[in-house]
Amino acid sequence: MSDFLQYLISGLAVGCGFALLASGLVTIHRVTHVVNFAQGMFAVVAGLTAGSFLSVGLPHGLAEVAAVAVAGAVGLLVGLIAIGKPGTSAQSALIATLGLGFAAYAVEIMIWGDNPRSHPGLRGTVEIAGAYVQKQSFLVIGVTAAVFAALLAFFTRTYLGKALSACAANPYAARAVGINVTRMGLVAFVLGGMLGGAAGVLLTPLMPISYNSDVLLITNGFAAAVLGALNRPGLALIGALTLGVAETMVAGYYEASYQTVVALALMLVIMIWQSSRRTALQEEAAR
Amino acid sequence: MKPSPRWAAAAAVCAAALLAPLLLSETQLPVYIVLVLAACVVTGLSMLMGYAGQVSLGQAAFFMIGGYTAALIALEELPTWLGLAASPLVAAVLAAVIGVPLLRLRGHQLAFATLAVQLILLNLVGQQEWTGGDIGLQGVPRLAIGGYEFADDVAYAYLALAVLGLTVLITRNIVKSRPGRGLRALATSEVAAESSGVPVAGYKLAVFSLSAGFAGLAGGVYAFYFGYVAPSSFPVLLSFEYVVMVVVGGAGTIYGALVGATAVTLLLQLLNNIGTMEGMPAAAPTVLSYAVYGVLLVLVVLFMPRGLVPTAAAWWERRRSARPRGDDPASDGAERPAPAPASV
Repeated sequence: MSDFLQYLISGLAVGCGFALLASGLVTIHRVTHVVNFAQGMFAVVAGLTAGSFLSVGLPHGLAEVAAVAVAGAVGLLVGLIAIGKPGTSAQSALIATLGLGFAAYAVEIMIWGDNPRSHPGLRGTVEIAGAYVQKQSFLVIGVTAAVFAALLAFFTRTYLGKALSACAANPYAARAVGINVTRMGLVAFVLGGMLGGAAGVLLTPLMPISYNSDVLLITNGFAAAVLGALNRPGLALIGALTLGVAETMVAGYYEASYQTVVALALMLVIMIWQSSRRTALQEEAAR
Repeated sequence: MKPSPRWAAAAAVCAAALLAPLLLSETQLPVYIVLVLAACVVTGLSMLMGYAGQVSLGQAAFFMIGGYTAALIALEELPTWLGLAASPLVAAVLAAVIGVPLLRLRGHQLAFATLAVQLILLNLVGQQEWTGGDIGLQGVPRLAIGGYEFADDVAYAYLALAVLGLTVLITRNIVKSRPGRGLRALATSEVAAESSGVPVAGYKLAVFSLSAGFAGLAGGVYAFYFGYVAPSSFPVLLSFEYVVMVVVGGAGTIYGALVGATAVTLLLQLLNNIGTMEGMPAAAPTVLSYAVYGVLLVLVVLFMPRGLVPTAAAWWERRRSARPRGDDPASDGAERPAPAPASV
């Protein structure tokens, strides 16, 4: 029972990290219809940057926030390249973000080398009903809850958030009422970069990351987001938590090396199930 | 048909490809063989991306299946030619089986699904005892067909070229045929193609499994040439590399696939030589190769979305048609005044 509780809470924490990543993916996809393959890269950049800031003596908190800001800047850069040129289709933009992920590898290896790195988070463990849970796990869960609440408020209560939602709902109508759709797309990329960065900063103390961790992070983020067809942050949150818990349970009770297989198989099943409820006509009309 | 620049170019490319193994040095031959094998995979992927309009981010998975099939059969003391013959079949059949549910997905969903298939496969192969786990299978015997043993690099270079020739021939015949036109139609709009009587699902599955078969065949040759296969020989990055080659060359053209594979491989090799020069940091070759993939992919997607070959062909056609007609009586450009869509 104590094992179960331990796996549950650390699984929820990992799932929260995936949820942050997935919400960035959803934000960008809703506004720009681009599936951002570089989303995992934001997390890697922020996680490694936070470690560097900490090692030069920046205090906890400040280092993490600065790293998230760096990820936001990287997000802006990715957005400028992916959607800055008029007439870039969503499919081309996906390939462009794949290329940007490669370019980021080069920069990351130059700065941080190719070994996995980690930085200390919140130290110590808490005992609950016989289970020892890392404090960092609670930090991840708490921050994620706060971020999702802030996102909800942002999208429903502020002008900028409403403008973003307007672009997501109908880009043509949004332009007609004077919203600059491209600029909103870039805002979405900055937001996506910061959300990905937050995931990276929070997850790095739990699992060391290296430059090529982004493939696994993006597949997990995508797997979570795909539950809501990349458009609904709420469903992405549920998907991410399920995924995190399922992976941790498989790793704990069965075999650690099978955890990604479970996540990926789950993603495939969900996608195929969803596609069976959709026709080609609907998809082409939505293009 | 009278000899046209097109045929002259094809003959020149063939001659250069056939002469190259005799002229290249010992250190260059392995690069050449890898290049030719990559071109086989890329030809199939290019057909999938250009004609069926589907992106596969897991094409190296089928390359891996081919390699493991050949290695397993050869290590069972069965005739090695059987291993080579089985590698495309196993890859194609597996692709057909997983393609039935997978090809209901489109666009980015299929891209992620194929990526997931490769990650799953890599993970499973790394765990099983009969595939040798993470260490893989070693000591694969040399390929022997009808008493002739492929012993040296030159023999494998010609084997790889023969495989590429077969791949190109099959692709060309399919593209020129009625199903090829059906495929091009379904890449534009599946609904329109379906209503004009194109069996969309069947054609997509056929192309998917054919491109997997090409990759499997190339993987079989790879296993015999290098003598070992391991999960680390077939990373996800290899799949991305194939996509880079397709996009750079131009999806949906055979020349594009060949040019893409050649250009990317040569550029990487050049940078690798620069990166391993004295005074360069140890990580330089890796950094340079990643930078090249990234920069190349972004530049081509943004500024040359049709790829090198179709862009160059269109430029050539424009130049010809801009010239006064009387200058060039033998021009076949007069028959096709508009820049033709990417053809083979």
